[in-house]
Amino acid sequence: MIAISGLAKKFRVENPKKLSAQDKKDPRLEGRFFHSVKDVSMRCEKGQVLALLGPNGAGKTTTLRMLSTALQPDAGSMFIGDTDVIKDPVAARKKIGFLSGSTGLYGRLTGRENIAYFGRLNAMSDQEIEARITMLGEKLDMMSFLDRRSETFSTGMKQKTSIARAVIHSPEVIVLDEPTTGLDIMAAKTVIDFIKDLKAQSVPVIFSTHHLEEVTELCDSVTVIDHGETTFDGSLDAFKALSNEGLHASFMASLKQGVA
Amino acid sequence: MWLVFKKELLELLRDRKTLFFMVALPIAIFPLLFGGVAYFMSQAVSEAQTKTLNFAIIGEQYGAELAEQLSKVESLSLQSIDSTLDNDEQKKALVRDGEVDFIIEIPSNYGSDLINTGQIVIKLFLNDAQLNSVQSRLNKIINELESGYQRTSFAALGVNEEQQVALLEPIVIEKVNVADERENIGEQIGGLIPYFLFILCLQGAMLPAADIGAGEKERGTLETLLLSPISRQSIVLGKFLTIAFAGAVTALITVGSMAIWGIILSQGMAIKVVSDFMASIGLIDFLLVFLMLVPIVAMFAAVLLALSIYARSYKEAQGYMTPLVFVVIIPVLLAVIPGIELKGIWAWVPLTNVALAIKELIKGTMDYVQLFAIFGSSVIIAGGLIAFCVYWFNKEKVLFR
Repeated sequence: MIAISGLAKKFRVENPKKLSAQDKKDPRLEGRFFHSVKDVSMRCEKGQVLALLGPNGAGKTTTLRMLSTALQPDAGSMFIGDTDVIKDPVAARKKIGFLSGSTGLYGRLTGRENIAYFGRLNAMSDQEIEARITMLGEKLDMMSFLDRRSETFSTGMKQKTSIARAVIHSPEVIVLDEPTTGLDIMAAKTVIDFIKDLKAQSVPVIFSTHHLEEVTELCDSVTVIDHGETTFDGSLDAFKALSNEGLHASFMASLKQGVA
Repeated sequence: MWLVFKKELLELLRDRKTLFFMVALPIAIFPLLFGGVAYFMSQAVSEAQTKTLNFAIIGEQYGAELAEQLSKVESLSLQSIDSTLDNDEQKKALVRDGEVDFIIEIPSNYGSDLINTGQIVIKLFLNDAQLNSVQSRLNKIINELESGYQRTSFAALGVNEEQQVALLEPIVIEKVNVADERENIGEQIGGLIPYFLFILCLQGAMLPAADIGAGEKERGTLETLLLSPISRQSIVLGKFLTIAFAGAVTALITVGSMAIWGIILSQGMAIKVVSDFMASIGLIDFLLVFLMLVPIVAMFAAVLLALSIYARSYKEAQGYMTPLVFVVIIPVLLAVIPGIELKGIWAWVPLTNVALAIKELIKGTMDYVQLFAIFGSSVIIAGGLIAFCVYWFNKEKVLFR
């Protein structure tokens, strides 16, 4: 279970004069601070998949980075199960598996070493790691290339390795930041299959995306963020019901709803 | 912490580029280059000294004795030229065109009776920009003739030998050097050794530092690392140790290879001074030199890591690091300046004080109590820099630029 409410984060603007005209128009700019995320709330129950939608620059990545403890929020609360993410980030990190579209691998290490490194960082024993890699390797069909240096991998192989790396410690929740952006169809399918598999194991997943077909295929609930505020938070059916002209129209409607 | 260190080290060892700079360059390529240069230099010098030179004499009739001596030298061959040349320009042209290597013009007052001839001025036309040691060969002959003439002239004046010596060199300074050989050589080269060591440490640490901080940011692995349940402190220390280790190893490998090659060469060429000098520095002083390097390496590693993690990309990191070389060179160069000693304010200038201490250790004149103070203050600075690194690693502004 993931519960986020009233999350806010502002960044100091070093030189307000250097901002582009478009940035200056953004209502989130107040004096020397840019309120990237102002008020975001969402909830993801066990076994649910939640899609985080929103235009570029809406604050999706910032929100997910706060959830994954990379950034410290200024206000609001976040809970994973009964762990307070803000008060006990180290405990929260053990429960989260995080993967973003831009995640890389250590090119000079083999796939297996990459995965094992994060296993060890998560204080797993060597036997545990080995058993888990064998299990994941078979499931993701990556035994053939696990012992090659990852700099020689194709995008799909890299994505599989990244996935295995993200879940090596059997996290309670999975956070994915635009996991399919920039991937080819095969690699994207690997990610989608992986999310489906997690859903079958009733592991809650939060992922941000720009692909609406992924939303229909995978999600139970949808959260829309625009200009740093939640403008829609509900089930997929409620999201669909926003408009009868398809998902794109629903998405546009959800944005307007927040403005009104 | 050791986990991060072990993994970074493994990655480092798998990187051919880093290995090349750290190991191959100092062990094989530098000595080859230096050795090659030294070899060709000595070849060129010995060739210049033995090459047969063509020369001509003008006014041979005035100085038959000198001409005879010259013709006896094997490596000089007398060429006949138009002896009616009386224009200096023409003589110059002959030398410039390579017709002869030098022309010697004996004046009409040449003779052994110095009292009557007055000072004899022999004109020598040569191209002094060329490496052919004309003058040194001539001097050998002329000095001999000169002292002979002096002796006969003094005898003619009735001056005895003792008086002659006194007249020729009225006052002599006799040096009594209280510094032993080690202190002497140490003063000359002692300043250069820390200079090499510091720069090598810095250079060796630079590439891994750029890779470990900015490189990880660029490849997108840093975010994942930050999200693992390991404290920032451990990450920083693991990375810091890797960088420091790489720097120290590079310096040691280079110094080791220089020492080994130096010993081989000095034994080959029987340069006793070098081996004696090396032997005179005790093992403890050697160890102390390396001990002093520890806080220095730590300072470098901490600064490099901080710069590297601030940079957005590998290239940017290298851009930040390059000026650091100059920042390091200046305080170390200060230690090479002869007048600057480990006294007063210089004992408190970071880097300079360590460089001076290493110099003193090599000279064998170190005040070991002062060593504690220098070592301590350097350790404190290094510790402060590491603490700053940890703080730096907790700043969102730095990590997510």
